[in-house]
Amino acid sequence: MTTRLFGGECIDGVSKSEVRDLYLVQDKISSVSIDARLDAEYNLSNHIVVAGGIDLHTHIGGGKVNIARLLLPEMVRQGRSHLERAEQDWQKIAPLSSPVPGTWETGRRYLEMGYTACFEPAVLPANARHAHAEMADTPWLDTGGYLLLGNDRLLLEWISKGAPQSQINDYVAWMIRAHQCCAVKVVNAGGIDAFKFNQRHLDVDEKHWHFSITPRQILKSLSHAVESLGLAHPLHVHCSNLGVAGNIASTMATIDAVEGRRLHLTHAQFHCFGTEGPHGYCSAVKALADRVNAESNLSIDVGQMQFGQTVTLSGDTMHQFANRKQARPRKSIFQDLECQAGCGVLPFQYRHDQYVHSLLWAIGLELFLRIEDPLRVFLTTDHPNGAPFTAYPHLIHLLMSYDFRMSIFERLHADVQRSSSLASLKREYSLDEIIKMTRLGPARALGLSNRGTLCDGGLADVVIYERCENPEHMFARPKMVFRRGNLVYHNGKFLATATKSTIVANVEIDAKMDVTLRKIWPTHYGYSSDLIRIHQDELLSDQRNIEFASRATKSVGIGK
Amino acid sequence: MICPFCSLLCDANDLNEIDCGLQNKSIVQLAKLRSQLDASFNKSVTDAEKETAAAIELLKNAKRVLITGRIASVQTARAAVSLAMKVNATIDCAEAGHVFKNVLAIQRSGIHSVSLAEARDHADLLIVIGGDALLDDCPRIPNALYSENGSPKTVLLLGTFTDKSMAAWTAAGFQPWSISCKIESVPTALTQWSRAPLQFSPNRMTSKLFTAMDTAKYTAVLWSAASLRVEQTDLWVERLLHWIASQNETKRCAALPWTSLDGTFQQVCTWLTGFPGRIRFHDGNPSFDTFTNSYENWLARSCELDRDSVVIVIDETAATDPYIEKTVFGLGRKFHSIELTSGSMRFPTAVAGAEVAADIFRADQTLLAHLSPSREYDKSRVRPAAYWLARLAP
Repeated sequence: MTTRLFGGECIDGVSKSEVRDLYLVQDKISSVSIDARLDAEYNLSNHIVVAGGIDLHTHIGGGKVNIARLLLPEMVRQGRSHLERAEQDWQKIAPLSSPVPGTWETGRRYLEMGYTACFEPAVLPANARHAHAEMADTPWLDTGGYLLLGNDRLLLEWISKGAPQSQINDYVAWMIRAHQCCAVKVVNAGGIDAFKFNQRHLDVDEKHWHFSITPRQILKSLSHAVESLGLAHPLHVHCSNLGVAGNIASTMATIDAVEGRRLHLTHAQFHCFGTEGPHGYCSAVKALADRVNAESNLSIDVGQMQFGQTVTLSGDTMHQFANRKQARPRKSIFQDLECQAGCGVLPFQYRHDQYVHSLLWAIGLELFLRIEDPLRVFLTTDHPNGAPFTAYPHLIHLLMSYDFRMSIFERLHADVQRSSSLASLKREYSLDEIIKMTRLGPARALGLSNRGTLCDGGLADVVIYERCENPEHMFARPKMVFRRGNLVYHNGKFLATATKSTIVANVEIDAKMDVTLRKIWPTHYGYSSDLIRIHQDELLSDQRNIEFASRATKSVGIGK
Repeated sequence: MICPFCSLLCDANDLNEIDCGLQNKSIVQLAKLRSQLDASFNKSVTDAEKETAAAIELLKNAKRVLITGRIASVQTARAAVSLAMKVNATIDCAEAGHVFKNVLAIQRSGIHSVSLAEARDHADLLIVIGGDALLDDCPRIPNALYSENGSPKTVLLLGTFTDKSMAAWTAAGFQPWSISCKIESVPTALTQWSRAPLQFSPNRMTSKLFTAMDTAKYTAVLWSAASLRVEQTDLWVERLLHWIASQNETKRCAALPWTSLDGTFQQVCTWLTGFPGRIRFHDGNPSFDTFTNSYENWLARSCELDRDSVVIVIDETAATDPYIEKTVFGLGRKFHSIELTSGSMRFPTAVAGAEVAADIFRADQTLLAHLSPSREYDKSRVRPAAYWLARLAP
């Protein structure tokens, strides 16, 4: 199958943006026609041509997502117009049926926005097969998962006993491969486990009551392992003290803890609070942004909050529990899981008239605007924690238009309007920068060398948007989406299903570690390691294959 | 390999290694099921294939379709939900009533819960509520909770446990003690005991309980809704969950609600549709109603109607008890039926995990195990339920 796309402006952040021909030959991109025979050609004048979008942090699979669905059936808009129930402006263009829709709707709606790959950032080891099964049922999207480590009791025990780093490295490799994940995520290092011991607070240099180790030690050890194994994606960290006033100090301490190694700070907007200001909370974005701008080993995703009803779900049981009284409606689920981690699910309403919520909204945008390199700050809402992923077009509009930003800023809590520096940030993102932060940046950050660009040989996952004055309308509905060279979405209609890939890290298992874990797993967990080990053939089907992420070649940051 | 015969999913090199009455019984049941199939069914897969066209026609002309039965695996649950969406059916598992006792309570109040391995390793007080029926469904729960390396546990049996249960917990390595009481009153009693123990004149047992609750660092509370004999179980569970939540204000305490194999259907249905079952599709969109969409109520409504109602019954377990026939067909109703079992139109179905590879959730709903069968199914005699469900799609 060969398709010619002509007359459209090709934008990918690598080559100069220009109107040029593009060929989709089988499942690859080509700038020249290889075969004289064309199966299809499209005149794309007044359109832009970009690579498929990549969401590197969205909760789309695994136990906590399903628990949120289970908890909130009343939030599903059954048999009623979604528009009728849309409470916020941003929900009106493309509302979801629920903050945590089922897999069919999730896949459909991502494709409808031009996204073709999504990554679940918190895969509990014991629950990894569930996460993969759920993502397999999410149509059209390539998927991958980040393995949740740093609260697994076996690792904490080894670190507390002074196990050599090589042992930790082998353990991480075994865990990644056994659970078929592509990266490592740490949530509140040691804090989830500490909460099981009734410890209600754990700062970066505070000791876990039972294991007498600190989050700093855990972060150092795991970042070292990620670097040693050559994982493409840096250690993906949810810092300590989620949402706590003054947590900028622990965020900075977290950066220090990895001693210059690559580090990705996730949903950074929730970890940027100072203690000044009228209600004991203020923005501390500048400190973090300055640091990210200065140190190329750092990247962040924002987790931008939007006003309205959503549900927050996190492995950080300690802080989710601390926020239990904020739940709207007033019900929540907390789980202590398998000596590995935990989970807290809280329905949440973000309101314009609430000081901290307004501040949070401004902080997120401040982060986007203060960090200079769009390849190291990624567009996320931490779906569904900050907002459902369908808020992306609205968020893009906020970034591309100062006036639009200010029209909402004027509705924020008066104290935030007085104290925030957002109004002074006049930067407006260009189209090129938006494409970089949603395509090229995430692809590089994840080692997906064949995605995120329109370069020759790249995977023919290509999206066509019709140019429009209002970027929110433009990015809400592409004109066409090609997956592996096949037109799967055109003018609002889904034309075909598509082959999906599961992205996994290409690491090898050390035979001695395999023997060790086979021996001790039953003692620690009560079942053999065979019960949780996922074989590659489980991830394969007629419509599903496996891809290996590229390995990091050197221990330097991406971007500049 | 992993034993597919109860929701604990024990692993062993050989099924015969598992010292469990339930498992031995199930292997015998499976053999019996297959010989019955050979004798009464007397139809090859090829013959059954020829009936699919008639079944599809039946579904096309049906005004109401119910999909029910005992669905144990992810693969079958996916296929069943997919078929339900295509034919606008109501879908509800035959044993969902037990699952929804917990689900309804959680949907109203939330829950603090703990998974099996966490409770095994970390809990130092285990409160088990119910009666001997708990071990009838899952005989090896005590063994699964015992760990030589984990926190030493105090095990308290609250309810109508007899010496039989005491013996099982003792054999697993615990030194259990019990307080005999009405199960119905347990949530209230726990609330009163923990709020104002001094208001009671403590006898030997209750003072032991007060001490255990006071000194426990992590309490796990285990029950199985399927084996509880109480009225309004969902309200009972809700009261218990409130007590557990209140404990967490100052210490750590969590629920370990035990489900059966049909918990797998609940999980899959939730991720596919956003609802844990009891849904009816209309134009491909699900609507959730725990009362209207229960299979019992569907049958009760449809029995007044004509023969345009079709029931698809799936059973991919090794159970031979006539539960489904009793509940679905024993009412004297004249439904058309398509049965994917081992009844009017039958399709021979392999048992999940025992005859065909299957993914099944352990009863704490945390671990999803991949079960490889001890022997591959005979393709001339049976096919996976998911295969037949895909064939029935119009």
